[in-house]
Order: sequence, then structure tokens, then C-alpha cells
Amino acid sequence: MPSTSTLRIAWRNLGRNRKRSLLALGAIAVGQLAFLSTTALLNGYGEQFLNSVTGPMVGHIQVHATGWRDDRSIDLALGEIDAVLADIRQHPQVDHASARVFAPALAALATDGLMSMVVGVQPDAESHPTGLLSGERLTGKLGSHRVLVGSGLARKHDMAPGMEIAVIGQDVDGAIANDLFTVSDVIDTPVAVVNSLGIVMSLDDAQELFLMPNQAHEIVIHVKDREILDDTAARLSRLPLLTHAEVLTWQQIAPEILTFVNFIGVYKFIILSIVFIAAAAGIANTMLMSTFERTHEFGMLLSLGCGPGRLSKIIAVEAVIVGLLGVVVGTALGLGLVSLTSESGIDYAALGGSGSAYEIDYKGLRFTSHVYPAIVASDVIAGVVAVFITSIIAVIWPMLHIVRLQPMEAMRS
Amino acid sequence: MNMARRSGIVLAAIFAFLPCALPGTAPAQDASAPVDRPAPDVARLLERFDELYESSGTAAQIEITIVNPRKTRTLRLRTWSKGEDKALIVIETPARDAGTATLKVGKNLWNYLPKISRTIRVPPSMMMGSWMGSDLTNDDIVRESSYEKDYISEFIGHSAQPPGWKLRLNARPDVAGLWERVEIVYAYDDELPVQAQFFDRKGRLSRTMRLREVKDVGGRRIPTLTTIIPEREAGRRTELRYLSVEFDIDLDDSMFSLSQLERRR
Repeated sequence: MPSTSTLRIAWRNLGRNRKRSLLALGAIAVGQLAFLSTTALLNGYGEQFLNSVTGPMVGHIQVHATGWRDDRSIDLALGEIDAVLADIRQHPQVDHASARVFAPALAALATDGLMSMVVGVQPDAESHPTGLLSGERLTGKLGSHRVLVGSGLARKHDMAPGMEIAVIGQDVDGAIANDLFTVSDVIDTPVAVVNSLGIVMSLDDAQELFLMPNQAHEIVIHVKDREILDDTAARLSRLPLLTHAEVLTWQQIAPEILTFVNFIGVYKFIILSIVFIAAAAGIANTMLMSTFERTHEFGMLLSLGCGPGRLSKIIAVEAVIVGLLGVVVGTALGLGLVSLTSESGIDYAALGGSGSAYEIDYKGLRFTSHVYPAIVASDVIAGVVAVFITSIIAVIWPMLHIVRLQPMEAMRS
Repeated sequence: MNMARRSGIVLAAIFAFLPCALPGTAPAQDASAPVDRPAPDVARLLERFDELYESSGTAAQIEITIVNPRKTRTLRLRTWSKGEDKALIVIETPARDAGTATLKVGKNLWNYLPKISRTIRVPPSMMMGSWMGSDLTNDDIVRESSYEKDYISEFIGHSAQPPGWKLRLNARPDVAGLWERVEIVYAYDDELPVQAQFFDRKGRLSRTMRLREVKDVGGRRIPTLTTIIPEREAGRRTELRYLSVEFDIDLDDSMFSLSQLERRR
């Protein structure tokens, strides 16, 4: 630890050319600000992405009958679904669990059959904020042969509430499943495939149509703590009723999306590196200039008996002070900026001049241009540590200069 | 009679579109083929194939057994067909599906569903979907194809299992179709086809069709049991058995209309 006198001297030295010290401090502050705001956006984007993936369609954990995912054979269903759901919901880590039936079908208003997909859902279990039907006012719109039609399907074929549609598919026995349903509403869900092809009916109706009493193709589970997802999945797979089922986490179901999420971490690191190479150059420049400027003074000090070690220490302390003050200011600015936007979010589309928010579809999932920046403690710490290390590294060159100084020559300059 | 070519709808359709064969069961080319047998008259064999089902009007009763790894289902159908482009298929049993009918007119396919009294046209996007849960696609039912017109045929040797002449039919380059080539084995004695293997556009064996149980039905000697094996779906097959056939009967065009379809029940 530097002595108090070293600290005092370093502080006074910084004060001797305030403009330059402030500029160096400002450069570091801007660096930290840039890092924090970029990572905040990345965090927000990653979270958004993850929610799009794990939200309504995939969930955190999925349960299927073994083999169903290969070709989605309608007869590969999970049985005793009520008991299975009850068991799953009892697990302390399970936030939501809902069962679904999926079946390709023809839908027809008149004679022409339209390719569609029946999605049988439990309305109550799908209405939570990340559920398939969140935001839809469902009261009385599902069940008793009333169905919701995806917005794309409805638009394409002029379907409107009140119309009667025939749904024709194949039941679990391979025989023809067919029945008439009334369109109770048109829905716009976060899941593209449901919007473009979906005929959403109550699980009961779907079970009746496809002859699968108390069966379902998929159970989607949302957990409370994502950090222990693997453990939760492993525990669920040990439930007696799920012995022959396949319990998978979203990482196993959508590995390519996991790659993307991991990439965000790499991206953060790259930005951190760029920002701090720039900061290091700024600090090094400042310290080098101030060292050269004070060559005469240093020569004097050296000839008065002050060792090069002491001088180096003073320079180092100056750099660290500038660095830490800079990072504190930058962090404060960064946190301020992020907290200003984290509530309302930032709309990329508006920034890009497209005027209105857009949503893009990828792999049947919908992603939005609206991002909510978020900062986590580890990002702030990463910034502070990086600045500290940078300050130390940046001061090496000026230090080497001092060590090599000849007192007589220095005084003469 | 040209107009009435190959009008046994289900069977003709199957002939036109059979998919895959099981690995290990593909007929091996026999190096020690009976050298004493002369090469067959390719044109005559193909003609024979076409003549088998040539009829001005055909009515048949067919039993279809659909086998998948977990279930076996049997349907009994009545079929009527006239020319290449008109056909009607009505399910008789099981009771749950009884009365369900499929009407083909030209390239259009409709299903009539008695439970909801609706007639639904199968959209082009669903043509490759399964017909009534079998290994036949809707496209198989609808498609019209002529071996003479669409394929270039050649004799490629003798097949050991099943024994017979082997003909290869290569799709003409300008013909858009599912198959790159079809290999058909004809029995030596009665010159009837016993096996057809269909290779997709990537040259992969996609479906194998076996024709067995040659019997006299409807005044003709024809294979009465057709087995279709989709090669890339393990454990699946569809068997079609003629219970009865009548050839060259008079069928009224009005039989093949939507209104008639809905009036049947």
C-alpha cells in the first residue's frame, strides 16, 4: 500500500494540470459508460431472446412420449395426463405446467380444405404472462366446440368470429377425426406457427376429436429458478409416471439457440476488450505526457535523494486514482442511463427510423425490436476490475521512463 | 379402349406410385441367371401390365390393412372407377368410418365426411399427406401416369428374389414426377409383375410394392394382394387385397359428382 504521503503527492500532482487529468478521467468514464450501456442492451436482448424461446412455445422443460419429437406421430401421446400434471405441479421449482395436443388437420369453411394445425391447450394453464395465450381474454372463448383461430390463418381465409369450420384430421387409431367448431375469436400469439396455422381448442375438445382421453403430446413447464434447470429436469424425469417419457430442457430442445445465447457472453467480452484497449491508450498517453512534462522536476527529486521506486509509485498511484475515479463516474452515468430506459425499454425499430415496432419470426418464434436494457452486478465488477488492471498496465511505460532518468540530464532539460 | 386404360383406381394408382422396399429384401441381381432364358420383349411386358387393369369401368371391393409399429387397422372399401380420371372410394367398415368417401375427378380430390355432412377438397399442400392413414398419399390416388409416356424402359437382367425378368423404367428427363426410376420384376411363367421398386429423385429406394396371390377374379388373372412398404419408415406397410372385381362394366358419369357424393347416405 502506498503511504499517505504518496497518496497526497499523487493527488496534488493530478491537480497541477486539471484539464488533462479530467480528460483522462473522462475518457475512462466514457469507456465504462459505453461498456455498461452496451452490455445492458445485450443483456436485455439476450433476455428477450431467451423469453421468446422459452416463453410461450418451448418453455423451460418439455415432456413428451419417447419418439414423438421424431415425426410427431399423433398416437405417441403421454397418458394419465391429469395425474402427471398434478405430480409435476407439486414440485417446488415448477412455476407453471400445461399440457398440449398437436395434430395436423384440414380446416374448411366451405369446400376447400386449408392446411392447419390443431393445438389443444388448457386455457387456465396458458394464460400466465409467458403462456401461449397470455393477454388473450379467454373467458368463455374455448371449450364446447369453440376455437380460436390464428391471425394469419384467419386473415388468409377470411375467417371471422361466429363462423363454423370443419376440422378434419386423423385420430390416434388412424381413423378420420372430424367435427364442426365455431370460431370464437382470432388470436395473435407470440408464436408464429400458431398464428399462421393454428386452430386453438380446449384440451378436452382436442382429446375428444382425436380419441385420446386424458392424453396429450406435450407438457410445457416453466421453472422458478433457471440456474438449476438441469437439476429440476432430472428430478422431474424421476417421477414414477414419467418413467417412459422424455424430459428435456430447452437447451436440449433448441441447442442452436443456446449457441446464440452463449455468443452474447463472447460478444460482451469483445466489447469490454475494445473499450479498455482504448481506455488504456488514453491513460498511457496522459501519464506519459505528464511524465515527460515533469522530467525536470523528477530530475530534481532524484538528485535530492528520492529513489526511482518512490517516483514510480507516485506515478502509479496517480494512474490508479484517475482510473478509479473515471470508472466510478462512468458507472454512475451508465447506471443512470440504463435505469432511465430499463422501465420503458428501447425500440430498435424507432431508432432505425422504421417508425413502428417490428417483430421478426425465426424458427416459428417471434422476436421483437423492443429491448429492455438490464445491468447485472457482474458487469459492473468486470468494468471496475478491467479499468484497474488497465490503469496499472498503462503506467508501465512512464515508469520505465522514470527508472531510466539520469538526474543531471533530467534537470538540464 | 385407350380412354379406359388402367382404371382399377386404387391398384392402378399404387402401380403408378409405389414407394420403398425393405433393406435386405431387395432382389439381388443373380449372376448365375438362367442363361437359357431369352431376353423378354420389353414392350410386351409393359403392355401386359397396362392390360391387366384396362377396363371401361371397374367396380371392386378391397380390404386395406394398414400396419404401423404400434397398430394395425383394417378397412373395407368399395371402389368404382371410370377411365383414368374418375374414381370413387367409399369406406364400408369399420362402422366408425363407414360412409366416408373419396372422390377423384381429374386432379381434384374430395373427401366426404358423413358425421359432419361435409365435403372437403384436399388442398394441393396436403397432396403428399397420407390417404386415410395409409401408406398411400393423396397424390397416389390422384396422379395419372403412363409408363409408356413418362418412362424409358429397358431390360436389365434377371432377378433372383423374387425370380423373374427385371425391367428398369427411367423417368424421361422432361417429366416432372416423384420417381427417378422404377424397377419392376416380372415372373417368368405368367409374365405378371411381382415386384416394383420406386427410387426417388435422389436415387434412393423409397417404396417397394409386392404383388402376390395371382387369382382369377372378374374374369381375369391378376395379382390380388398388393403390399406397399415405405422403405424409410420402419415397421410400416399397407396391404390391399381384392375381395372382388368387376371389369368393363357400365358406370354413369353422374356417379362421380359432388352431389352424388353427398347424396349417397
